Amino acid sequence: MEMLYAIFAAPFIDMFSDPVFFAEVVINGLLTGIMYSLVALGFVLIFKASGVFNFAQGAMVLFAPLTLVGLMEQGVPVILALIITAAVMVLLAFLIEKFMLRHLINQEGIVLFMATIGLNFLLEGAGQIAWGSNVKKLDVGIPDQSFEWGGILLNTFDIAAAVIAAILVAVLAVFFNKTRIGRALRAVADDHQAALSVGIPLRTIWIIVWSVSGIVALVAGIMWGTKSGVQFSLTLIALKALPVLILGGFTSIPGAIVGGLIIGMGEKIAEIYWGPLFGGAIENWFAYMLALVVLLFRPQGLFGERIIERV
Amino acid sequence: MSAKAKKINGRAETILSIEDISLSFGGVQAIRNVSFNIKKREILAIIGPNGAGKTSMLNVINGFYHPQKGTITYKGEKCHDMRPHLAATQGIARTFQNVALFKGMSTLDNIMSGRALKMKQNVFWQMIYYGPAQKEELEHREFVERIIDFLEIQHIRRIPVGKLAYGLQKRVELGRALAAEPDLLLLDEPMAGMNSEEKEDMSRFVLDVNEELGTTIALIEHDMGVVMDLSDRIIVLNYGQKIADGTPDQVRNNAEVIDAYLGVKYD
Repeated sequence: MEMLYAIFAAPFIDMFSDPVFFAEVVINGLLTGIMYSLVALGFVLIFKASGVFNFAQGAMVLFAPLTLVGLMEQGVPVILALIITAAVMVLLAFLIEKFMLRHLINQEGIVLFMATIGLNFLLEGAGQIAWGSNVKKLDVGIPDQSFEWGGILLNTFDIAAAVIAAILVAVLAVFFNKTRIGRALRAVADDHQAALSVGIPLRTIWIIVWSVSGIVALVAGIMWGTKSGVQFSLTLIALKALPVLILGGFTSIPGAIVGGLIIGMGEKIAEIYWGPLFGGAIENWFAYMLALVVLLFRPQGLFGERIIERV
Repeated sequence: MSAKAKKINGRAETILSIEDISLSFGGVQAIRNVSFNIKKREILAIIGPNGAGKTSMLNVINGFYHPQKGTITYKGEKCHDMRPHLAATQGIARTFQNVALFKGMSTLDNIMSGRALKMKQNVFWQMIYYGPAQKEELEHREFVERIIDFLEIQHIRRIPVGKLAYGLQKRVELGRALAAEPDLLLLDEPMAGMNSEEKEDMSRFVLDVNEELGTTIALIEHDMGVVMDLSDRIIVLNYGQKIADGTPDQVRNNAEVIDAYLGVKYD
């Protein structure tokens, strides 16, 4: 009885007895969530365009800010460094298309997936050979101060990150849902040969998608890198994007956003209100639990396309 | 020889000509020194036993395969090989032996994707769905609706194609190919796996497309009844070589064809 009370009643009573604190937990959760969304978005773009889970996305989230920091350490001004890094990500997309994807047209998804694992090691290695493996401090000039708003403690950097993410997401969502490129993308993901036969330029589409995905990785990498330093552990953030993807659906841009928000908010709330019951630190596994439950009841995610296969 | 065939042969205007094409994969010779023409507005059937190189031939024509030897002349332009994207741009559309549709998308979206090359509006305008972009989308939608009416698939417009019966999928695939308003339509076994009623429907669509839109059609098919009825001309391949080229009448009486493929004289 006491146990049931502690699980089903006490946390809710706590929430209602201190609504301002609850609001703070929710808002901070959402702000973290949008950063998860940003990482998940990179996965969704490539998955939409090639039906492939890009294992190297985490490495890209490391590689991009590593390049940025490296350039800034050489004394390149921030703006110029950003532009050059974005250009490097586009160049990377060209190279990936030329040396990897082009040779794997019409192959099974698993073959492409294996190729991205290779790419993952390559990028991790190359980034660190070029710029070293020390933890680097990244500061692109976004103010990082805490302030209070209606009794809620907030951070300017988190707000800025959320705004940037929101803008990025809005532009991408419209781009992929309203334009012919969006339809072409879904076509390419479904069947390479058929896409080619209706005249969709497969290679161009791939370059576009990998470039956009690289730039999304750059933005995500800057945000996370500023928070926790540019270091190898950035690649692990990709793991956090997995439950977000499962929740939101691998093919849905809005899904990645909502998924990220739910995970971010859910894990903060769970940690604060239910955490003590389990001895804390449930933040680390809560997202995966949630993903498992989603998999049981809605394997395509909340927003994903339902794939129907006739056997 | 039908009246139409006479007319075609009389005019003899060639849309595509294949000259001395050879294609091999490693040690396997798929096509050996094959030459033939496809004339404007005709229905040409390519037949032959399994592994004769029929599908490879279509793949060469639309640029999936690049032959080691030979030339392809399409609409008067000579080249060594085609590229899929270019082929599509220049009016070659096709369907596949194992239906290759975009399974997660609806019938409507599948056929719309066939108009990928016709959409010219700036991506920026499309994003805000404004002005010319909106008008363009509506125009294409109208065209696609006409195809849907023509193929009698109104009732499955919104259904994801992965869910449809095989015969209907083949029809949607034809619709997608037609959406590109092709000059040359390549059909790889359009009637495989269909029952006789579905075959009749499909034959009717193929004939209508040919007659009403004036589309040149090259098709691969194993049902000899269908082939003899539909085609103006037949090419027979065997072990990668062309063994006959002529009207249905000539082909069905050709001793070599009977030997290699038909087995018995086909009436």
